[in-house]
Amino acid sequence: MLRSFTLVALLWPTICLAELDIGDAWIKNLPASVPVRAGYLSLHNSSTRPQRIVALHSESFASVEIHETVMQDGMMRMQQVPELQIEAGETVQLAPGGLHLMLMQPAAPTRPGEVHRIEIEFDDGSRQSLQLTVRK
Amino acid sequence: MNKSSITIVAVLALAAGLGISWLINANRPIELEAGTWFGEQARALPEFELRDHNRQALRRADLSGKWSLIFFGYTHCPDICPASLQTMADMVRAIDDPDVANALRVYFVSVDPERDKPDVLASYVTYFNPDFVGATAEMEKLEALTRPLGIAHGFRNKVAGNPVYDVDHSASIVLVNPRAEFAGLFGAPHDAQAMARDMTRIVEYN
Repeated sequence: MLRSFTLVALLWPTICLAELDIGDAWIKNLPASVPVRAGYLSLHNSSTRPQRIVALHSESFASVEIHETVMQDGMMRMQQVPELQIEAGETVQLAPGGLHLMLMQPAAPTRPGEVHRIEIEFDDGSRQSLQLTVRK
Repeated sequence: MNKSSITIVAVLALAAGLGISWLINANRPIELEAGTWFGEQARALPEFELRDHNRQALRRADLSGKWSLIFFGYTHCPDICPASLQTMADMVRAIDDPDVANALRVYFVSVDPERDKPDVLASYVTYFNPDFVGATAEMEKLEALTRPLGIAHGFRNKVAGNPVYDVDHSASIVLVNPRAEFAGLFGAPHDAQAMARDMTRIVEYN
């Protein structure tokens, strides 16, 4: 009894922690004259319950949001996605021409090869850190 | 002049006429993979005057003599504009025939003239390819070009004095032939390899 209690107590943080599998996380570099960058990655939820991203934080950028490029009235329009829910077992792709991270006002000019850290905040308050590599 | 010399003159005139029409015919039917070819429906561009990233005037006459690809966007656009310019840079690199690549020019026309000053445009377009040309103009002059081309664009959440706002814009790439006619359109999403094959076909065939 005590042993199984200890086991649950030990595993509890892992069970509760929202965690996503991150793939191919990168930032499209742009010249310093442009104060925005787009970040791309894949997010896979291998857990058994939905994961909801409610905010993003980074020391490298003044603000980080999830945006989506949509076609409307024959025009490309960017709109903010305030929260992004990833269902159990689902993979969401942030890729050029669709969902992307909108990285605003870099703290310093970005350079290809650099790695920037971003923190994902989930609806349960937990956070996950991820790294994006700047590409030309 | 006797009968046979009249015949010879007539045949020569006909041959010359055919030759000339063959030389100037830039609108022959072609099947494109990645876009729409207007063929005989190609129509003259309107007169317009933009300013390029070197602060030089860019007019309709400047598009004569080469094939031009024109994308309309703005530099504060993080997703679709860099993706489209990168696609065009990759397309140029994917063209094997240097004569085809030399016959081609790529323009980025900003529909956000307030923020996209010549210096900003210069560093932006040349980041993708040193030969790319950026251009813009005040709204009235821009619309003299965009409206007849059917290229829609407009501002959203724009408040006087606030430099943060959105710009909606068409993501189609306009193809202009060496006679400065609107000759085709490449719709989004753009594919560098398919566009390279299309542009090779277009330039070699015409």
